[in-house]
Amino acid sequence: MARQWGMAIDLDRCTGCEACVVACHAENNISTVGEEQAAIGRAKHWIRVERYYEGEFPDVTVKFMPVLCQQCDAAPCEPVCPTFASYHTSEGLNGQVYNRCIGTRYCANACPYTVRFFNFYNPIWEKPLQLQLNPDVSIRSVGTMEKCMFCVQRIKAGEIQAAAEKHELRDGEIQPACVQSCPTRAMVFGDLSDPESEVSRWAGSSRATKLLGELGTRPKVTYLQRDSWHGSEDA
Amino acid sequence: MERRDFLKISAAAGATAALEGCGNPDHQLIRFVPEEDLIPGLATWKPSICTLCPAGCGLSVRVMPGDAEVVRKGQLGLLKMGLAKKLEGNPAHPINRGKLCPRGQAGLQVTYHPDRLKGPLVRTGRRGSGQFREVSWDDAIQQLVSHLSDLQESKSEGRLAFVTAPLRGQRKMIIDTFAASFKRSMAVEFAFFDDSVIRSANAASFGHALPPTVDMGESNYVISFGADFLGTWNSPVAQSLGFGQMRKGRPGERGKFVQFEPRISQTGASADEWIPVEPGAEGMLALSLAHVIIAEKQRPAAAAGHAGSLVEGWSQGLTDFAPEKIAAQIGVKPETIRRIAREAAAHDPAVALIGDAAVAHTNGLFNALAVNALNALLGSVGKPGGVLFGPVPAAKQPAASLESWAAQVNSGAAAVEVLLLYNANPVFAAPAVWGVHAALDKIPFIASFGSFIDETSALADLILPDHSALESWLEDTPVSGSGKVVVSVAPPTMNPLHNTRAMPDVLLEVAHRLGGESAKALPWKTYDEAIQASFAALYKEMGSKTAKDAEEFWKKAQEQGGWWSAEESRVTPVSGSSAGAAVKNSAPRFDGNPSEYPYYFLPFASQLFYDGSLAHLPWMQEAPDPLSTVMWGAWVEINPRTAEKLAIKQGDLVEVASPHGKLEAPALVTPGIAPDVIAMPVGQGHENFTRYATGRGANPISILSSATVEGTGSLAWAATRVTLSSVGQGKLILFGGSLSENPPELKHR
Repeated sequence: MARQWGMAIDLDRCTGCEACVVACHAENNISTVGEEQAAIGRAKHWIRVERYYEGEFPDVTVKFMPVLCQQCDAAPCEPVCPTFASYHTSEGLNGQVYNRCIGTRYCANACPYTVRFFNFYNPIWEKPLQLQLNPDVSIRSVGTMEKCMFCVQRIKAGEIQAAAEKHELRDGEIQPACVQSCPTRAMVFGDLSDPESEVSRWAGSSRATKLLGELGTRPKVTYLQRDSWHGSEDA
Repeated sequence: MERRDFLKISAAAGATAALEGCGNPDHQLIRFVPEEDLIPGLATWKPSICTLCPAGCGLSVRVMPGDAEVVRKGQLGLLKMGLAKKLEGNPAHPINRGKLCPRGQAGLQVTYHPDRLKGPLVRTGRRGSGQFREVSWDDAIQQLVSHLSDLQESKSEGRLAFVTAPLRGQRKMIIDTFAASFKRSMAVEFAFFDDSVIRSANAASFGHALPPTVDMGESNYVISFGADFLGTWNSPVAQSLGFGQMRKGRPGERGKFVQFEPRISQTGASADEWIPVEPGAEGMLALSLAHVIIAEKQRPAAAAGHAGSLVEGWSQGLTDFAPEKIAAQIGVKPETIRRIAREAAAHDPAVALIGDAAVAHTNGLFNALAVNALNALLGSVGKPGGVLFGPVPAAKQPAASLESWAAQVNSGAAAVEVLLLYNANPVFAAPAVWGVHAALDKIPFIASFGSFIDETSALADLILPDHSALESWLEDTPVSGSGKVVVSVAPPTMNPLHNTRAMPDVLLEVAHRLGGESAKALPWKTYDEAIQASFAALYKEMGSKTAKDAEEFWKKAQEQGGWWSAEESRVTPVSGSSAGAAVKNSAPRFDGNPSEYPYYFLPFASQLFYDGSLAHLPWMQEAPDPLSTVMWGAWVEINPRTAEKLAIKQGDLVEVASPHGKLEAPALVTPGIAPDVIAMPVGQGHENFTRYATGRGANPISILSSATVEGTGSLAWAATRVTLSSVGQGKLILFGGSLSENPPELKHR
């Protein structure tokens, strides 16, 4: 059976630091759109940190939740694409072939997670900022939709490397940029079809939940709910 | 141009395979490929060091070949060279173990910034006009040499001043040696967020003038007094690794984390219990916790040793600090204080931290000493799960503070003839009342080693732009974040893009041209010679199990990104230094009459801009702030009740006025702040700092009073009071603005 890539995020470890957000920008050639475009909701962050305040001062709590493409098994974005730019890969990713995209934006409208981003303009890197670009990731031109694909270029590189070195791909050998950067190790990535993989074990946690799972999208990202302290005054 | 004139520079080490299937040779980007057909290029990973904050994390830099448009010998050409493509943590480095914060990752954009200075500049217009002309390095260095030779020969009564960021390692050695070779010179180190109060407190309590290394991964109970230890304070990546381990790295064990602070910080947001405290009452709170622990016989008072005996009333059990007596002053309920004290005492190892605004009140030193005593009482000093010091020896503190230096220049007491600036932007980052700008106006000749025009380098007469960190030899001796002895080193990861030169190399050349004392004191030709000499000394001192001689030791260190001890050496705390009178409880003082200025003004370190030195990076501007989700701007945090009282709505432009100035920024109404506190991120409000940061938001530092932390010369940056009023419609760009504020229902499967 083909590998089924998945991710698990432990919200008890996540501190909302934004390291994953910047790692994603650097790895995936996501262009910054500038102040004016950001003000009308066109900033592109394939992964974002959502934060939720609860309660009133002084009894305030805050929760962080990194949200990225959930790589749904029943992805609402895929069947609506008239050009098959959004498609399901054999390894379970919600792929996006940029040169097939004609910019209908049906996929973004269908996605309940708002993790697809449209290029309203051609991206600009003021010289010599273009030298930072990752040659393994294509840049997206005006009129196309872009999104997280679990750093598919890193997955491919890892698979090719393992094949060249003639060894089985080890659990944890491939890390998307967000997972690699996370300073609290709140994210794990791996093969969900392997029950022994770390991501499978995290996904089986009693704290595991799916974001908007009730929609039937069958996300491959699992969130482990924030835990609470179980001690006492005189433990 | 002849083809042979094209310079070809290959990656300095390691073969880098050319990309196949590359559609666009200009950018070497693979376009239009479904993922099945994707062929990734091969990258070389090289070690480097992050220089953006004092933590000193190790980097692993992804280098790939690319074509850069560069000017060489006055000619524009396309150069195939190894280019840094991504910064990650160095997995072997003991401090950050493969991880990196958002600021560190954005360091890539410093090298490729479109507004980086591309070569040496000489001022042509009046000072501050921004008019410069390009000169050759030879002319630029000669100009500096001619200004310095007068001083060196003592022909003039003037002085040399060297204003830098806090430095360490060989870079500090070269700058200090250079400055000391002049008879009358002053070396001034300045950073807005410095750790000198914590160093002073730790010297007095434990005999180590160092920030602590926190062994959080083994802690069961963490109490933080205002320290933003997961964001910007001390060694945030090392502490984040420890935090993840403390929370979920030990099967069956999960430590508790309590944060006390008047405004919820990014770190406070992750607390199990966030408890607001009156600004400046952190020390009283720590002693109140200690009182409960002693009174309830959880620990004997004597357990705190010297750190406890420094505090007045400690041996009598701190009866003045009984929660019921002082709860009103602290702003925390007595039963909460008692409960936290009991929990901490019952969950070994428990550790207490203090930092940021809690030590930036006028009584900051007292607050830090009180927390040190609490830590000692809890038995967490020098123990697993607690705080460790060293083993790095503390650096000599510079003689003059920036404030007293500026005062001396302004009064004429110090006739500074030549000022050298390195890696510091005091015109932006020092309170306006210090008069740094006026002091600079009095100095006849200013040379900057800056890579950008900023508020300070704009006043320079000569700019000698440094290489970016990725283009430089780097060496660093981090003081916290690991129990191991760490000496990081890295050769340049890529060739320089522009006509820049490494600051230490320029200083060495200036010293040689000057001759005399300066040349004698600095015998090295280049910076890497000096670093190599320090590694030879390190090899002699420490030896090595794996390297057969100093040469191999040096080579291995460069490959690995540094040298570090195999074992953690936990230095036993020694008794503190101050044998003087016990420290008394001291209340914080605030500048500004409470009836006229009713609100405490709390600047805080920005998770993305740090102290403002990173506001020029587009990734940092467009990344949403973790708590406010603000992009491309600054904001003023206001409690909803205060906002209602003053008829301020979210997004209104508000005026914040202190006795020393006023500023305007949009209001952000948030429940995570006390009604009598107004908070603002440091970092925006640049008047002159590249196309991305100039004229954006406001700078809270500009309206601060010059109050200092008693017993130290440090700025008490949380000691200003302000008034607040709505003045119109502001511009607040929120990434979270379009998202539902109601958390999605997370259900167990």
